[in-house]
Amino acid sequence: MRISSLAGLIGASIALVAPSSDALGQAPQGFIVRSPTMRTGEMIPRDYAPDGRNLSPPITWESLPAGTRQIAVICQDHGAGNPPPWVHWIIYNIPGSATGLPEGVPFDPTEPMPPGIAGAVQGNNSWGLPMYRGPAPPGGSLHHYHFVVYALDTELNLPPGLDRAQLLEAIDGHVIGQGDLMPIYERIPMPEPREWQGGPLPEVWPEPEFDPFDL
Amino acid sequence: MADDKSEKKISKISRRELLRSAGLAGAAAFLPAGVHGLAEGEGEILPDEISTATAKQASRSALPQNLTAEETEILDAMVARLIPDDEHGPGAREAGAVGYIDRELGGALSSSREAYRAGLLALDRYSEYSREARFVALTEKDQDSVLFDLQTGGATGAGAGFLGSSAAFFNMVRGHTWEATFGDPIYGGNKDFVGWDLIRYPGPRSAVSPDDQRRLEQGELEPLRRSAYD
Repeated sequence: MRISSLAGLIGASIALVAPSSDALGQAPQGFIVRSPTMRTGEMIPRDYAPDGRNLSPPITWESLPAGTRQIAVICQDHGAGNPPPWVHWIIYNIPGSATGLPEGVPFDPTEPMPPGIAGAVQGNNSWGLPMYRGPAPPGGSLHHYHFVVYALDTELNLPPGLDRAQLLEAIDGHVIGQGDLMPIYERIPMPEPREWQGGPLPEVWPEPEFDPFDL
Repeated sequence: MADDKSEKKISKISRRELLRSAGLAGAAAFLPAGVHGLAEGEGEILPDEISTATAKQASRSALPQNLTAEETEILDAMVARLIPDDEHGPGAREAGAVGYIDRELGGALSSSREAYRAGLLALDRYSEYSREARFVALTEKDQDSVLFDLQTGGATGAGAGFLGSSAAFFNMVRGHTWEATFGDPIYGGNKDFVGWDLIRYPGPRSAVSPDDQRRLEQGELEPLRRSAYD
């Protein structure tokens, strides 16, 4: 296992214990988090990375704890950041009735959220941008991307633009359930730069219609 | 994580963010000679050396002088998203930002010529690789997404050919676009004062009375619409 992979797993296991517990001091209940396009331990499709369209990926969840009123999601890379993790995405105020996040959540804050997650807002990632930005690890390194879903026992209705620390502080004591997904990503090298900039070259050059030397 | 960790905490490309930061650009309008630069060897322009800034601007060639047609096309699409023409008013394209940058690449910005050549082609190549279309052919939403990838450094590791990080290229173009849009029109940008109108800068004045100040704060002060050198 590569060092970055090991660091990612260690970091992820640390993150699983924070925030610590619900209001009664009990450990959050686990629940299932899936994606129609991603699986733990498998490569994230390039459309969810800068190598592709950099859309936010679809995520679904099942068997939320009874009494879930709101949901928050963080996507983070525990193998990067100083200190780790490097945060790629924060979204919260998701209605407790939601069953997941659709692909391509708007990055423009003036654009309305899809109907199923109306009211959700996005926090600031580690670039300071309130949107999803996908994995772009240094060339040749494989990183783990930890999607954590928190089930909350109350409607906090937090303001947009919180960073990870602010969100975790705000939800501390309200987390009654937690689930996660941890796919991986390694950059896909671009093909060599093309030499010809003027369009596709013909496979066979056409024969000249006249001989320019036969005048 | 992106390749360029140093590019964290950067701002979103938006008109709102731009307006929040526009005080700097307004201040820059008073200090153009040192900041925006003149053509090498031209020296500082003094007020009595020119007739009017507007006339000087009008005399400039509309044809690209230092950029190729392909580079001009890509840069034009890029500046149009950095400061878009929207409900707030005309943007960088309408302010003549491309013409300003093109001219200055033959003068004060000549050291950036290679970065523009490589960066604009890399932007186009990255766009074709990631979004399967040339940058100029993308929707505005996809163009914005590509520019966010540049801004965050996410485009760097794709191998598109940026000199250094894509974030450095993005920041360079954004800075020059702001100079072009909000600088004094004598330097070839801020056409028809669209930049100053955008940030409601009322123009350079030799004196500001208490009444002027009051009307400025209430948004009632009529802009002078003239260069500091007119």
